[in-house]
Amino acid sequence: MTYRFDWSVLWSGQSGLWLLHGLVTTIEISVIAWLLAVILGIVSGALRTVSFVPLRWLASAYVEFFRNVPLLVWMFFWYFAVPPLLPQPLQDWLFDHGAEFWAGFVALGVYHGARLSEVIRSGIQSIPKTQFEAAVSTGLTVAQAYRLIIIPIALRLIIPPATNESLNLIKNSSVALTIGVAELTFQTRQIETYTAKAFEALTAGTLIYLLLCLTIATVMSQLEKRFAIPGMIAKRQVGEF
Amino acid sequence: MKRSLLFFATLVAVAVNIPLASAETTLEKISRTGALTIGTRTGSPPFAFVNKNNEWVGFSIDLVEQAILPVIAKKAGKEIKVEKKESTPQTRIPLLTSNAVDLIAETMTDTQSRRDSVDFSLTFFATGAQFLVKKGSPIKGLQSIAGRRVAAQQGSTNARIIRDQVPNAKLLEFPDQPAAFQALVQGQVQAYTNDGIQLAGLKAKAPKPDEWVVVGEFFSYEPYGMAMRKNDSDFRQIVNVGLMDAIASGKYFELYDKWFGPKSDVPYPLAPETKRFLQMQVVPK
Repeated sequence: MTYRFDWSVLWSGQSGLWLLHGLVTTIEISVIAWLLAVILGIVSGALRTVSFVPLRWLASAYVEFFRNVPLLVWMFFWYFAVPPLLPQPLQDWLFDHGAEFWAGFVALGVYHGARLSEVIRSGIQSIPKTQFEAAVSTGLTVAQAYRLIIIPIALRLIIPPATNESLNLIKNSSVALTIGVAELTFQTRQIETYTAKAFEALTAGTLIYLLLCLTIATVMSQLEKRFAIPGMIAKRQVGEF
Repeated sequence: MKRSLLFFATLVAVAVNIPLASAETTLEKISRTGALTIGTRTGSPPFAFVNKNNEWVGFSIDLVEQAILPVIAKKAGKEIKVEKKESTPQTRIPLLTSNAVDLIAETMTDTQSRRDSVDFSLTFFATGAQFLVKKGSPIKGLQSIAGRRVAAQQGSTNARIIRDQVPNAKLLEFPDQPAAFQALVQGQVQAYTNDGIQLAGLKAKAPKPDEWVVVGEFFSYEPYGMAMRKNDSDFRQIVNVGLMDAIASGKYFELYDKWFGPKSDVPYPLAPETKRFLQMQVVPK
């Protein structure tokens, strides 16, 4: 009655290759979605702190709309609801060139951009208002003050919560399998299909996600140490975890 | 870091092993709880689906309730009720091995690799893979899908055959039937492949059934069986006796007529050789 484990399914046949393909797709979609999320996050996060009300309102509308609807719904939205609005030739071209990947990328990027926006806004708001006033009084315009002073400082302050959001983005990329993107979780299911060994396949997928995320977390904590601003954020002491 | 990894590994090992290490047989479990828990589908008409009146019904479910359940109840010496849980191609084997369900009764194809992990009943339905396309589509079967976008259900045996036999077809796999059909409706894909009988069911349930056609010769053989935990031959014997009695007594064909007969939603005549095959699986008492 007990389940018999057979780990050899992971390296016999094509399983290893599939896992590798899945990992590559996961990294690809996560990296470009992360870039989109960072751009959207910085712009909307900064706009949420400016004094010009319509811009602030626009940024708030973006954040609240996109972060308060489940990612799964956004996946279906970008894959099923958006393409019919495009002109026919563009639609055909997209469908022939991995529409599911691009829909998954936009869904992930826009959703996480809204979440990252909140992280960046809180980073900006944690900077004393006098910094901004000092920057403007040296003759910088508001845009320059944000670009040269406020945002660079904010980005250094928010490394820990931004790491958290980035790891979430990687893990959430698995939702893209619902629209047929062949990423890591998709490939573990594929192995299950061919070998009927679900536990082994899932364990392999789990370990790969774990290793990927641990690596990124380690790199980010090095970055955090390297870029800590003395006096604004304490460097981590030895023994403190 | 090393210590936390070790902790995690222990946690996983414990989580995976506890539900698996059960000494109770399936029959003992059923008679203790008074319930037979089956894993089935909500969206695979006419085998297992939720109908217009919001009832969870279908051919596979009827076979369990009307052919297998009486034999189990007789063996247990008391009334047994059926509890249904949703199972998908990805979850059905883990559901069984973790004791969450006792029997998979849906549209699961019996294969050699699956028999390494679970045991199957005798075959209760035989079909093969075909394609669902828009009326007038140039796709006529496996020979005409090269270079075209084809959807399949992930975890199905047909996706595997297409990948092996027509590697240059653009295969897109969806976790469930509704998403794959939606992709077909919108043109993301030009054909959707699944077992012929399921495509017939999908077409019948579509808003405009006339717009869709099921095309192509069977390009696979899909014998449906009910799956059980491995190495529990007493339970498997009961399931098989239930199915054999139903075939021998004609109950099976009554149910077949209810779900696939000329007056049903998905008319699908029983081929004489399939009927003969079913009857030949019945061994003497």
